[in-house]
Amino acid sequence: MVHIRRQPSEVGKSTAWNGKDRRRSRIIFLAIALAVLLLLPLSRPIIGGTFNYVMQMTTIGLMWVALATSWNLIGGYAGYISLGNNVFFGIGGYLAGGLLVFLGWSPFLTAILAGLAGFGLGLVVGLITLRTRGPAFIIATIALLLMAALIFDNWELMGGSNGLSLPLPQFPPQWTRVPFYLAMLAAAAGSVLLSWTVAHTKLGLGLRALAQDEVKAAVLGINTSRYKIIAFALSGIFPAVVGSIWGYSLTYLRPSIFFTIGIAAQMVLMAIIGGRGTVVGPAIGAILVVAVNEASVAQLGSSELNIVVTGGILIAVLLFFPLGIVGSLRKQGRLPSFLDWD
Amino acid sequence: MNILQTLILGLILGGVYALMASGLTLLFGVMRIVNLAHGVFMLLAAYGAFFLFTELGIDPFASLIVTMPLMFLFGVVVHRLLFPRLEGSDRYSEMTVLLTFGMALVLEGLLGFFFTGIFRSTSPAYATEAFLIGDLIIPKGQLYGSIASVVLLSGLGIFLGYTKIGHAIQATSQNRTAAQTVGVNVDRISTIAFGVGMALAGAAGSLLSYLFTFFPGQHWQWLAILLSLIVLGGLGSIRGAIVGALLLAVLAGFVSNAFGATWSTMTFYLALFAILLIRPQGLFGEKEAV
Amino acid sequence: MLELAEVSTGYDGGPNILEGLSLEIEKGSAYCMIGPNGAGKSTVLKLVGGILAPRTGSVRFEGAEVGGLRPDQLLQRGICLVPQDPSLFTKMTVRRNLTMGAYLETDRSVIRKRLDVVFEMFPILAEKEQQSAGTLSGGQQQILLLGRALMMKPTLMMIDEPSLGLAPQAADQIFEVIEDLKTTGITLLLVEQSVERGLAVADWAFVLDLGQKRFEGPSDQIMSDPRIRELYMGKAPTIE
Repeated sequence: MVHIRRQPSEVGKSTAWNGKDRRRSRIIFLAIALAVLLLLPLSRPIIGGTFNYVMQMTTIGLMWVALATSWNLIGGYAGYISLGNNVFFGIGGYLAGGLLVFLGWSPFLTAILAGLAGFGLGLVVGLITLRTRGPAFIIATIALLLMAALIFDNWELMGGSNGLSLPLPQFPPQWTRVPFYLAMLAAAAGSVLLSWTVAHTKLGLGLRALAQDEVKAAVLGINTSRYKIIAFALSGIFPAVVGSIWGYSLTYLRPSIFFTIGIAAQMVLMAIIGGRGTVVGPAIGAILVVAVNEASVAQLGSSELNIVVTGGILIAVLLFFPLGIVGSLRKQGRLPSFLDWD
Repeated sequence: MNILQTLILGLILGGVYALMASGLTLLFGVMRIVNLAHGVFMLLAAYGAFFLFTELGIDPFASLIVTMPLMFLFGVVVHRLLFPRLEGSDRYSEMTVLLTFGMALVLEGLLGFFFTGIFRSTSPAYATEAFLIGDLIIPKGQLYGSIASVVLLSGLGIFLGYTKIGHAIQATSQNRTAAQTVGVNVDRISTIAFGVGMALAGAAGSLLSYLFTFFPGQHWQWLAILLSLIVLGGLGSIRGAIVGALLLAVLAGFVSNAFGATWSTMTFYLALFAILLIRPQGLFGEKEAV
Repeated sequence: MLELAEVSTGYDGGPNILEGLSLEIEKGSAYCMIGPNGAGKSTVLKLVGGILAPRTGSVRFEGAEVGGLRPDQLLQRGICLVPQDPSLFTKMTVRRNLTMGAYLETDRSVIRKRLDVVFEMFPILAEKEQQSAGTLSGGQQQILLLGRALMMKPTLMMIDEPSLGLAPQAADQIFEVIEDLKTTGITLLLVEQSVERGLAVADWAFVLDLGQKRFEGPSDQIMSDPRIRELYMGKAPTIE
């Protein structure tokens, strides 16, 4: 029997609230969160000296929210682990960067183009690799990532392994960080919205079914290949978008910024810690991991031990908390309403 | 370089690649999982051989006697420690792949911490000498490596074809439920297969130590190459791994001649996508039922 | 010999297929389970064979509790399951398939002797000894399966749908083979879609429905009972 984990809002019975109250509290929370995030750039008089740092940290956090949430479309909903989703990230960065350097177009505008390119690439790669059931996909994503690294390392036009310098953005110095922040906020919101939409449509149901048991799902008449390919293509949109913004914000592009397995590992870790296959899980995971990374780098400095910790946490979560934060809380019936968007 | 030279070199190198890939495809056959830590285990053995060579002067071939059993034991311990917890869980194959991914990250970090990112290599005499046969230059190190691969792969073949455990491994690989029905303890066989896969990776690592320069972060490239060639050959098929290795090594050799060494790894990746387009089950694999 | 007491079980976190089922099997006889699809007949075999574990109730074999043991452990006690799913090693030869059956036996001469017995009983297998199992016809594969099961020297042999997917002639042949098996003193428990054949070869029958035992009795009585005929045999689809 195929068990499709549909969570009606009634599941929160263990709290004193009923479904309607949960929905309302969720929306209130969302409204407050959005308001805070939108008004943050205006908070310089309140925060004072640390304003730039706060802006930068939240921008990075939002970027990872978009990356992890998008990864979740293929890795969480469909259950197909991708270790190459940062290819979209890099393609976005290089596409927008290239258009900026050679044609003068602002990445804030070309980010949309990048998103489309990400979708297209996902479609093409998906058509080649997602027609079968087995591990061919994950193998192909690894190969894709290494291919991209190889190509961009040797592409002289784009600077090769030394990288490409981008012209500086023309904003007044006080407000330089704000447009990037707002762009990342839009991307993060967009990716979560996309994730929520997918989860609540036939596509989401079908993906969940095939993640549980692909053979049974196919026998039930679900076109598993098509669903997988669409999920993968969708998962390429927002990484490409944030890639364009990120490259611009760094003012230079280098293959090692985008095309390393370490970045792929982070996406995986965030989605799994937060709760794979849930709408807000990856976002929670992203915020958590970024915060912890920042704290630990401040304390311990950066070294090879960082990946040991990443890998160690991943193993620990897999063995002991496979459902992640959101998933485990839900299973125990203790999921607060503002995290329950599935 | 003339065509014959490239061909011969490719075949010799292919033999070594076949050994490297054999453990990976064997494990997939038995447990149906892709061991993303295979590359890092190879490097672990390479560092081991490096240590033995630089500190104790032990030749990489001699160190095989030490590294293979140690890697086997290491594999058995790792498998018993980590995998049973995932048994029967909801998305077993995903979880196990992620587990091996985590293992790969941990080991890569540890290797980097202890050995740093400096490029290493063992340098026994034969690594830089060569035989001259007519017009052909045949590097000694690579030839020895290839011979060792042939010996080890033959040993594997005998093990699988003529011992009780070998039969059990084949049976589990072909039909897990049927193997259970005839009394094979498939859990124990999975552990043994994991250990054997690690032992093979260990042997490959010893060869790698003098054939190539290595550093911790390199294992992903190795993994991608080996994965590409076992997909080409057919996941789970050792015969396929051998054929895939020989084919792609020769092809990569010609590509290297024509376009430079940087692009030779591209051959493997492109071959991967090509085979997925044309014949996803690989040369010796079986078509999926659904 | 075998006692199931109030067992419930199901697949993979799903609902119970068997609901408090109880039945008893005595040594040396041949039994057949019939009933509609989904009644749980194959599930009983998988339960006793160690593929599934009981959620409630107990499974006792020769006095000892065996619920939840692994298939290889059950095999050592003499319980052998011939499952419905294709379970031959298609890439191995007929001979290798048979010797795999004796996997738990360490004495080579014993294995060779059993092999001779099997080849004598099933000459077709001796004929095709070196052929790859995947190249045999459906009926021959079924015979190979039974031969392999015999190699395990079981005391209780459970066969799940022996005639499934076979043409009528081949099905008849299989049931002749099963008749021969009875003479070896083995206890047989069959699940069979073709009710006539199943009841013809069995001494005693169980009628299962909705995960429980509804009726039981000598097979000829069950065969001729008009209630049971109407309820269960009229509905049985024939796959031919």
